[in-house]
Amino acid sequence: MTAQRLTTGPVVRGVATAVALALIIVPIAIVVVTAFSPLDYFEFPPRSFSLRWFVEFFRLENMRNAFTLSLMLALIAATLATLLGTMGALFLARRRGALAALLQSLFLAPLVFPTIILGVALLLLYKTVGMPVFPGLLLAHAIVGMPYAFRTVLASAQALDPSLEEAGQSLGAGPLRTLVLVTLPLIWQGVLSGWLFAFIVSFGELNTALFLTGPGITTLPIEIFSYLQFQGSQLVIAAASTLQIALIILMVAGIERIVGMGRLIRGR
Amino acid sequence: MKGRWAVALVLPPLAAAMLLFVGPLLYLFWVSLHTPSQSELYGPALTLRNYTGVLTDPFYLGIIRRTLGVATVILCLALFLGYPVAYFVALQPPRRRMTILLLLLFPLMVSNVVRAYGWVAILGRRGVINTTLRDIGLIDVPLDLLYTTGAVVVALMTILLPYMVISIANTLSALDRRYEEAAQALGAGPVRTFLHVTLPLSTPGVASGMLLVFLLTLSAYVTITLLGGPRSKLLVSMVYDSVTAFEWPRAAALAFVLLAIALVVTGLILGVLRPRRVQGAG
Repeated sequence: MTAQRLTTGPVVRGVATAVALALIIVPIAIVVVTAFSPLDYFEFPPRSFSLRWFVEFFRLENMRNAFTLSLMLALIAATLATLLGTMGALFLARRRGALAALLQSLFLAPLVFPTIILGVALLLLYKTVGMPVFPGLLLAHAIVGMPYAFRTVLASAQALDPSLEEAGQSLGAGPLRTLVLVTLPLIWQGVLSGWLFAFIVSFGELNTALFLTGPGITTLPIEIFSYLQFQGSQLVIAAASTLQIALIILMVAGIERIVGMGRLIRGR
Repeated sequence: MKGRWAVALVLPPLAAAMLLFVGPLLYLFWVSLHTPSQSELYGPALTLRNYTGVLTDPFYLGIIRRTLGVATVILCLALFLGYPVAYFVALQPPRRRMTILLLLLFPLMVSNVVRAYGWVAILGRRGVINTTLRDIGLIDVPLDLLYTTGAVVVALMTILLPYMVISIANTLSALDRRYEEAAQALGAGPVRTFLHVTLPLSTPGVASGMLLVFLLTLSAYVTITLLGGPRSKLLVSMVYDSVTAFEWPRAAALAFVLLAIALVVTGLILGVLRPRRVQGAG
């Protein structure tokens, strides 16, 4: 009886893992494979290989614009989010107490908050103050990305030996010089991976962008969504999705080279 | 960082959080307490009718019940599939553990609309399942797999599953193996050891995995719309529909009903599992 249990345990765990990985990865793999299909319709597995849907993607003006806008948005929003997150993290790195705890939860809150509610709230606010579409989207993406940058930088800053900063100060460097010459060079890996993380979040963001995009100003995920909703699953969507995935792979490779992905997994 | 420098450091992120997060939510709440208006975003009079209207309407109550039902099923499936996977991952040697965790982490970075599209491509009338079944001669007419509640459950569960696995695996791999060895040495079988030692010690990971999966299910509008279609709408679809109909106070009230559900379930999960207490004892 016991012997049987001992052997069924690992089998169940192994099978569960294989099933879970298949369920998670197969849908993404199918999208990538069909993007290279030469046919008009969905065929799996495809019989031959073609780049026509990628050509079609860049030929369609709205797709091309959405891709460029998403890239720009992610670049600027990630920079803004990292700037704000780094400031917050440096402030809180050595602080304890109720106020520090409150600030930390405030900075992390958008991480677990149902972002669809934030999307509606921002839309209402923007309508009231007459905010134009692009800056509105930018601020929304920045606030959604900020917790990711904040958390990554905070972990780096807290791992820093405080005596290094004290040494800088005791050698006569002011707070700003210490920050620029001592602290930032020591935590730059955290700052950079925070930026990459905020970029990835912005590049795939749906729940706030859903409400905040306007006519002619649409992000790639929202463009994919409206195509799927109103024009059916044309294969140009597969090409658009594959480009989204390709960019994420580039970013992940970047994080891996800079800090190693282990940090992100443990930070989660 | 002390004094003026510290204030200069914390002021920008604090201002951003207040202006772009706390402020808009308070404003949304304010709007939810007003009468609707034809010409303005909201009318002049204060009222609770937006809330009472939602909470007494059998249609909305049905939607809320379906939302809770779907979210519960997704949560249970993710937990029962995710736990053994997390256990498997935690028992691997460090390098292989990292590889599997990377395979789980990467999909989380791909936009959910792309992952939902993957499921549309599998479940659609001309999708992978229907074409395969027709090719081997099992069916003549394609099965209606897409635009069902089942499609929403399967797609959303698998999209969110990595959160559950990574959360639990983190706790399990940090767990001191000597507790399990002690239980076995004292004569407990593998099942008893698991139920009385491993499972209670892993509650912090279980709690955070459950929280992430539940909260992300509530606001997964795009996945729910693409897989569920018009017949399997959930509460988040109602929020979106009210916005597109310019019914701002109604949309605001529905958003806060959604938030209330999120808070109550968060409280329930934390209250029942008490992750902090266990963490302290471990």
